Amino acid sequence: MVRLVGVDLPANKNVQVALTYIFGIGSSLSQEIIAKTSIDPHQKVKDLTEADIVAIREALKGYLVEGDLRRETTISVKRLMETGTYRGSRHRKGLPARGQRTRTNARTKRGKRRTVGLGKGKVEEKKE
Amino acid sequence: MGRSVKKGPYIDEKLLRKIQKMEVTGEKKIIKTWARNSVIIPEMIGLTFAVHNGRKHIPVYITENMIGHKLGEFSHTRLFRGHSSPTDKATTLT
Repeated sequence: MVRLVGVDLPANKNVQVALTYIFGIGSSLSQEIIAKTSIDPHQKVKDLTEADIVAIREALKGYLVEGDLRRETTISVKRLMETGTYRGSRHRKGLPARGQRTRTNARTKRGKRRTVGLGKGKVEEKKE
Repeated sequence: MGRSVKKGPYIDEKLLRKIQKMEVTGEKKIIKTWARNSVIIPEMIGLTFAVHNGRKHIPVYITENMIGHKLGEFSHTRLFRGHSSPTDKATTLT
């Protein structure tokens, strides 16, 4: 089993594909990283030698990945919310921030469907 | 697609002139502006702009975190007062 930056790589996949299991590495970055080493991208993870793993680990340095990347994104979202931007307010409301339609769709951001209103809404409005 | 780097950030010319004037004199007055599409540059830190939102001017105090954003992002144009109360039709459905 190969463990890189806190993620287990699937043993039966090609190296190029396996690297994309790390948060922050897609197929293009994966190719870039492998190009830095002298590994065949189509080699399976289980066939990697110790030296190969060290080489990958070395090549991974300098990329923002996993926890650090997650922290960075939350920090930038927090910044948007604190400075009072429109995008920040969208994040706060859990709605899409880039001008997408919300009349329909936007389900990824808004989560599972739940009906609003139906009597309850009226009471809440009066309170305001 | 982003704006070409060659051109640099877009700032309304009149606004830029006003900022430069303020920098020279060192005074800090609220600048009323309609130029919502102007990028916030480091020179603007500490100034307050009254950014038009289509109805009135919203005061925006510029801090370091705001650099690179546009003035309009801080002056909201929509006012959400909650959804309307349900119609009879919607109530009978349940």
